[in-house]
Amino acid sequence: MKRVLGNKKAIALFVIPALILYTVIVILPVIWSVYYSLYEGSPGLKWEFAGLDNYKRLFKDKNFIAALVVNLKYIAIVMAGQVGLGLGLALFFRFWLKNFKNIIRTLVFFPVVLPTVAVGQLFVKIYEIQPNYGLLNSILSNIGLQKLVQPWIGQASTALGALSAMDIWVAMGFYSVIFYGALLDIPGEIIEAAKIDGCNAVNLFKSILAPLLRPIIITCLVFSFTGTVKMFESALALTKGGPGNATKSLSMYMYNVSFSYGKVGYGSVIAVFIFLLCIAGSGIINRFDKKN
Amino acid sequence: MKKRILSILLITTMIAVMLTGCGGKKTEPSTGETNSGTDTTTDIAADTTDTNAAAGDDKQIAKKIKILSIWAEDKDNGKLITDLTKRYISDVNPNFEYEFELVSADNLKQKIATLVASDDLPDVFVYESGKPIVDLIEADKLLDVGKALEDLGVADMLDEGAVSLLKTLSGTDELYDLPLGMNVEGFWYNKALFEQADVEIPTTWEDFEAACAKLQAAGIQPLTAGGADKWPVTRLINAYVMRSMGVDAMQKAADGEAKYTDAGYVAAAAKIQDLASKGYFGEGVTTVDQNTAGNMLLSGEAAMFYNGSWFTEALTADTNPAGADGIGFFNIPVVDEAKGTITEYSMNCGNILALDKSKYDEGTAGWLKYMVENIGNEAMTQFGAVKGYKYDVAGELSTYSQIVADELAKVSKASTWFEAAMNSETSTVAQDNVQTLINGDATPQEYMQSIQDAYDGSLE
Repeated sequence: MKRVLGNKKAIALFVIPALILYTVIVILPVIWSVYYSLYEGSPGLKWEFAGLDNYKRLFKDKNFIAALVVNLKYIAIVMAGQVGLGLGLALFFRFWLKNFKNIIRTLVFFPVVLPTVAVGQLFVKIYEIQPNYGLLNSILSNIGLQKLVQPWIGQASTALGALSAMDIWVAMGFYSVIFYGALLDIPGEIIEAAKIDGCNAVNLFKSILAPLLRPIIITCLVFSFTGTVKMFESALALTKGGPGNATKSLSMYMYNVSFSYGKVGYGSVIAVFIFLLCIAGSGIINRFDKKN
Repeated sequence: MKKRILSILLITTMIAVMLTGCGGKKTEPSTGETNSGTDTTTDIAADTTDTNAAAGDDKQIAKKIKILSIWAEDKDNGKLITDLTKRYISDVNPNFEYEFELVSADNLKQKIATLVASDDLPDVFVYESGKPIVDLIEADKLLDVGKALEDLGVADMLDEGAVSLLKTLSGTDELYDLPLGMNVEGFWYNKALFEQADVEIPTTWEDFEAACAKLQAAGIQPLTAGGADKWPVTRLINAYVMRSMGVDAMQKAADGEAKYTDAGYVAAAAKIQDLASKGYFGEGVTTVDQNTAGNMLLSGEAAMFYNGSWFTEALTADTNPAGADGIGFFNIPVVDEAKGTITEYSMNCGNILALDKSKYDEGTAGWLKYMVENIGNEAMTQFGAVKGYKYDVAGELSTYSQIVADELAKVSKASTWFEAAMNSETSTVAQDNVQTLINGDATPQEYMQSIQDAYDGSLE
């Protein structure tokens, strides 16, 4: 094995095909976007060099700022929810769940395999208020909380929350499986020793489990971040970005600008911004890893 | 050994999947081709009209055209076009071939923009009237259909109303597109509910508001609208605008002669917001899509519903719980008799059919002539629908189609829809923000201002 990996040709053989593929489908388009962002109009039609005009426009654009705020809120809520609840569920599976382990784990993981559009349709029905109350509103109305019955996805104040709840529900099973695997890797003796030393549940988590799970938590945060920063299909399926712009994300705005408004140049600037946001976000999360 | 075989197998599958993924688009047109090749005339109506004979003396020029449609070959206008084309091939010109390509309505404008950029427009394509088609006319891409039909001697097959509407929409004296529908819009109402609440058909806007209040008092939801789809709500604003400011008010704002923030437009937005804030649309109108809204009217859960005459498709379906006579129609109530009268309708020709200028030749002309001569009758016999062409068959008109035909006969002037003259940016803003307007999160002033901002911004 060592001999094979010591051979530079062998390394090249392993790396180059993937590298070529990666260059073609990731790096080239990014460079292409940067190039497009210096132009105005759509390629082929009124395609003029605009220099940095598109970039100047970016931070004066109210719609862009609105989309950015929505997107950042969404990232914060969904990331915390997905990773937090995923971790919580994994702890639940590991320490408290006694019976029906497999069935419950399967049920929690199940939403991960559902297509986003189907989930969107499902939640449209759950949040429904007209013509009939959906699941949520009919439960509220039946337990005497008629006051809380409201158009969950039809008003700006609750639409983003409703969307986030859906995306957390979909992905938490995925993270719980990862965390559960990591928890199983922690030797039982350590936990037992801690218990003998009189460690309660909170301290056990704080002093033993959390440090040992740290790399996994960071990986999950990066996963969740990259998944949420591109917020698009679930919002489209549930609310179409509405009401108004309440759930319109950066990528939805980018799509509109480039493909509906025919301003591919300006759309590319937004794309470049999303790219930078991705890098910056992952960078910040990874910094927690290097501290120790 | 086994593992190795398995891994090789997996790799080959992956590569195969990748390749098919890349090549997906290219295989599409070929299905269209096979369809045209294996043309069985089974689904074609036996009554070939006598006009065929007239077209039959054309030279049988070999020609292959490409048709881009937003309807599948077995649906709606897609079926109409393919059926007629197949019949043209079997009856008139066996050397004629066609390729049918389907694109979703959402992607239509983007697709056409790409094709224009690569100078590869299809011979015939479905498109949107109003601002989108104006761009193509200005780029000199479209055939002057009016003139072409004149040359072919079939210009009189088009309905004059449709022609003048299309000319208005493109702002030209020539005709650059063919209608695929002839729609009037207005309020559909549930007769049983009107009777139950003892409400008469409103003729003025005050009557209309009074009717809403009366219905609500009787425990009936007065209105329903597809707020999730956005456009049904802007249509309501448009309805008030055309009655209070005249049929050309939206066009004036788009031309820069008026501002969207002028008092009249703001007042219209305020009227609709007012209807919503009184709860006439029920709770959460922005979560209801247009289909659901239509069903609510039919099943008696709401009394009035603004929609176009294409709604007859749902009305005539056997599944309509209101039955064959349970739903009626009235035009937008009058606000100011001096500005807009009851015989002025909000109208459109649906999606339209346009022809590429550079690809048009004698071969296409034969097909075009046949289409225009027969589409009116075909649409009437197959769908009982008026498409904007003359017809001389007595179609089996349902009560609802008869209502539409009667309304069409009353038209004195037509207005277009709210976003017709807006470019896509302004139109997107107008539609997105209308949800905040009816939710009460934006004032009418703010709403119209956002449209004006988008309009100013996109002129830069």
